[in-house]
Amino acid sequence: MKSGNMRREVVYELLVVCLAVNLLVGDAIWLNLPATGTKCVSEEIQNNVVVLADYVVVSDDHTHIPTISVKVTSPYGNNLHHKENVTHGQFAFTTQESGNYLACFWVDGNNAKGGEVSVNIDWKTGIAAKDWDSVARKEKIEGVELELRKLEGAVEAIHENLLYLKSKEAEMRIVSEKTNGRVAWFSIMSLGVCIVVSALQVWHLKRFFQKKKLI
Amino acid sequence: MEKLWCLTQVVVLIMVGVLSFGGITTTEGIRFDIDREECLSYNVHFEGDTFHLSFVVIKADTPWHFTEDGVDLVIKGPSDEQIHDFRDKTSGKYEFIVQKKGLYQFCFTNKSPYHENIDFDIHVGHFPHYDQHATDEHFSPLLDEISKLEEALDNIQFEQHWLEAQTGRQAIVNDNMSRRTVHKAIFESICLIAASILQVFLLKNLFERKLGLSRV
Repeated sequence: MKSGNMRREVVYELLVVCLAVNLLVGDAIWLNLPATGTKCVSEEIQNNVVVLADYVVVSDDHTHIPTISVKVTSPYGNNLHHKENVTHGQFAFTTQESGNYLACFWVDGNNAKGGEVSVNIDWKTGIAAKDWDSVARKEKIEGVELELRKLEGAVEAIHENLLYLKSKEAEMRIVSEKTNGRVAWFSIMSLGVCIVVSALQVWHLKRFFQKKKLI
Repeated sequence: MEKLWCLTQVVVLIMVGVLSFGGITTTEGIRFDIDREECLSYNVHFEGDTFHLSFVVIKADTPWHFTEDGVDLVIKGPSDEQIHDFRDKTSGKYEFIVQKKGLYQFCFTNKSPYHENIDFDIHVGHFPHYDQHATDEHFSPLLDEISKLEEALDNIQFEQHWLEAQTGRQAIVNDNMSRRTVHKAIFESICLIAASILQVFLLKNLFERKLGLSRV
């Protein structure tokens, strides 16, 4: 009986570890950088979201690993991370603005071999970037309770996403209504300009002909 | 494999980095610029998974977009068999059950003459039931239900990502429309004023010539 229980516990723990591991999966991209030029990957991220990423140059040839440079910019142009001549690295930040975050990679000029370079990028945002191990240790929870906490976190993330969508939709509605008003007013203005200009025309030509004693 | 690397100037390869025995629900969403053609790959680890994918073309800000050109998307399996293809679509969603595990390839072809920005999202749902793992342990129904919940939540997040991309596209169209109304009205007024000045000038010219001839 006791051994059955222990075995069950081990299985539970294994499952917990597996489920824990999978919720941490974010974006794992392999980028193929051309010899010249930049390759950029972007993502639309909201305000106040934790972003964790790390990048590694993947090379078949272990003697000479080519180096790359990386630059991460926020939507308003602020430089969040900038490194030159590296083969691996990581960056982490909390977003201050909501918008399009850009991560650009390019091969350094001193890459002797030329040709394409592969970079492995692992990029996690929001709920995927949360360190559940430290939460579990700090609050001394485990097993089913930890899983339910993670689900709660996921649901909160969904709720925030929905609120963000709502606000974007409201903005769009405002622009639509403004456009509606503008179409009407500017057509009237255009028509008004046409009438005024033709009246001026007629008046000017009348004066001209009167001056030349034709009328 | 060689074909994959030689395809275009830039090839983006997406791979899931983590193997797990439990419920793998992975969501990848990236935005990239496409010029003529761009190919992506994704490595699926388990058969029987449900593979969801969605793409939305978020137009760039060029002011002269007249037509609703879309993109072509061809989905190929690990042994180059064609799974599905979209022709001339500006957005699309598709799901299929993974028959063979391996590298799946997605190739986009740009039909419009401009650069486009494409938002591409992948969501692979994996159930522990389908996992032919060696252990015969009866997984607790509670943890079963929890992993189902997790899968459902990840599905919701996938749909939300698609909605966000569509909203972004609509927002760009709206802004463009708003600006174009004003530009059109101003341009029209300037043309009208110019046309009437030209008219007055030509008429005056005509009559002055006629007068000049008749008075001589």
